[in-house]
Amino acid sequence: MSARPRARTVLIPALALLAVAAGCGSDDGGSTGEGDQIELTYWTHTHPPMTELNEQLIAEYEEANPNVNITYETIPNNDFGTKMLTSLSNGSGPDIINMDDSALRGEYIPKQLLAPIDPAAFGAESVEELEGRYVDGTLDGAKGDDGTLYGVPSEFNATAFAINTQHFADAGLDPASPPETWEDVSEYGQQLVAAGHEGFNFVYLHAGWYTQQLQTLLNETGGSILNEDGDGSALTEPESVEALQIWHDLIREDQVGNADTASREATSPFEDFASGRRSMTMIYPWAVEQIAIDNPETFENLAVVPLPQVDPANPSGRWYGYYFAVNKASEQQEEAWKFIEYMTSQSERWLSDVSFVQPLKDWEQSPAAAEIPFLDVWSQAYQQGKFDEVGPHWSEVQDAIKAAVERTVFDGQPPAESLEEASESVEQSVTS
Amino acid sequence: MALTRTAPGRARTARARPPGSGGSGWRRRRDVIGLVFALPALVLFAAFAIYPMLRVFQLSLYDYNLTSPPVWVGLDNFRFLFGDERFLASLGASLFYVVVTYGPAVLLALVLALGLNTRMRGSAFVRLLYFAPVATSWVAVSVIWRLVLQPEGLLNQTLNTDLPWLTSSTWAKWAIAIAAIWKEVGFFLIIFLAGLQNIPKDLQEAASLDGAGSLRRLRYVTLPLLKPITVVVLVMAVIRGFQSFSPQVVLTGGSFGTEVINLFVYKTAFASARMGRASAVAVLMFILLLMVTFVQLRALRKSA
Repeated sequence: MSARPRARTVLIPALALLAVAAGCGSDDGGSTGEGDQIELTYWTHTHPPMTELNEQLIAEYEEANPNVNITYETIPNNDFGTKMLTSLSNGSGPDIINMDDSALRGEYIPKQLLAPIDPAAFGAESVEELEGRYVDGTLDGAKGDDGTLYGVPSEFNATAFAINTQHFADAGLDPASPPETWEDVSEYGQQLVAAGHEGFNFVYLHAGWYTQQLQTLLNETGGSILNEDGDGSALTEPESVEALQIWHDLIREDQVGNADTASREATSPFEDFASGRRSMTMIYPWAVEQIAIDNPETFENLAVVPLPQVDPANPSGRWYGYYFAVNKASEQQEEAWKFIEYMTSQSERWLSDVSFVQPLKDWEQSPAAAEIPFLDVWSQAYQQGKFDEVGPHWSEVQDAIKAAVERTVFDGQPPAESLEEASESVEQSVTS
Repeated sequence: MALTRTAPGRARTARARPPGSGGSGWRRRRDVIGLVFALPALVLFAAFAIYPMLRVFQLSLYDYNLTSPPVWVGLDNFRFLFGDERFLASLGASLFYVVVTYGPAVLLALVLALGLNTRMRGSAFVRLLYFAPVATSWVAVSVIWRLVLQPEGLLNQTLNTDLPWLTSSTWAKWAIAIAAIWKEVGFFLIIFLAGLQNIPKDLQEAASLDGAGSLRRLRYVTLPLLKPITVVVLVMAVIRGFQSFSPQVVLTGGSFGTEVINLFVYKTAFASARMGRASAVAVLMFILLLMVTFVQLRALRKSA
């Protein structure tokens, strides 16, 4: 047998396959017929309980839709923002992203990297109808300045406070009377330190964490990072300085916690509390599930109580959300929204398995909500929250905030002086 | 006069030609073949080194945020940088790192090389030990040093202190320098050893016969003959120092005065999406390093 017929037997089927593949690729707008293979990519940050449920839901979705293949990737938390932004910018990003509201409002929406939401994928006639299914205001974290909606919540967080009841007992404190003010935190904290525990501390991870914790205090003192117009700094205002002063006093003056020895493991932000080393911490709903997994003993002694306040008569809190959104450059937008619809239709499982609240109206009345501990505290926290500020070049602003906190908390620079320096950086970032 | 200088050269070329290789035709053919073999490497070099470099020069004159088309701003990015405290601080952090890390590292490497330049039993193993950190990645080294430098880490235990090595503006830059010296000494040690082994032994012996002791031989024979290697080492030290990135990222994330210039470029480009401004920093660093290298080479030529 000569080589030529053999080559033909290989080449002809190969060309036929290529022709079929080319036919698949030419399908208009990514809409595919039955039997066509659809490839979707989906990226999230790392949070083990969330990753596990994502993998389960993806497997179920692929089973129900055999023509869909979803490539799921988790990206280390410290690199998540950078990798996502650069990949979306150069068109190589995933079809589906799960991203926090600060990044969405500060970077992705203004840079026009996301596709507006497709209400039809959710069985809604209009965006308004879809929006009507959620608690008022909770979709604002995924809206542009013109009110266009770009995503739906995968998790929605309010801020509360966690205490270790065993530690309280060790220090002769009554867990039923948790701290109501930051002065209480200081007083209780010192007693907990005397009993051999770390009383209270903030979390020292990346610039985003520093900023969100200062923002929580700013919400309480009435301070702000930016002025009302958003084109200058408000960090030198007395209310803003007061917020950093609270942080400074707790750690440097009252020494209820040691910032130098705090854990800096970004995949487990509440490691110090979960390990049983720390007695009190600010907390979000999702952290409860992680504490249960990391250390069942601490989980046994966990009590979630309202966030301590500067002025308990006028309580304030902080909201933040993560949203499912679709890359504007995706060629599979319709399929991506269908998958997101499936993910959000599992809100009960998100709540029961991962402690992720999807703020659908009356979510607190759902069977899954009835099972989550401290529901009344979380409910109250959701009533008094608000989204963080964002502004132009927010990552630089966050860096300036981080540096200011570090100068004060680690190096001992007075808060007013440190914020004066930060203020100049913030002004420069938002105006240049 | 010119003819007499050229003629021997021609004669040498003629002698060097392979037997039976023909004349200029063969040379041309050889050059073409050589070029063909080198072409893939040249293309890759042009695509991944020259082109990006030219693009960086171009981008430094634009305002470019990755999503909108670049906007021409001329020298605005450079003007901004000269008044930007964060940039100046990162330049200062890099200079500090270069001086405090690479000064001692080079000196230590020279001393160790002089000590190890013998045929003692086991000296090869000792050299290998010093070279091991060089072969280890910076990230791995940084993770190890993070354990050493943490509050309850080996260093504080050894010194019986509780210094916040990685969480203080006073100590963090020194902590990184200590780790870097440990890692970099081996690199320069190997270069110095190679240089020492190329110094002709008869010169040392002649000096010895003339009554020169070991210190005088070091001063008048070894060190002068080692000068070309020393200059190469110094140039490399400055370049390596200014290119530092990994230890700062892993150990402090650039906090506490350790945001070196490369980290500043990375954040400006990929976190803030200010590609033009980041490119301007890269251009400035290119020019700065070029000038420093030029000065170092001039200093060598003058002292030679």
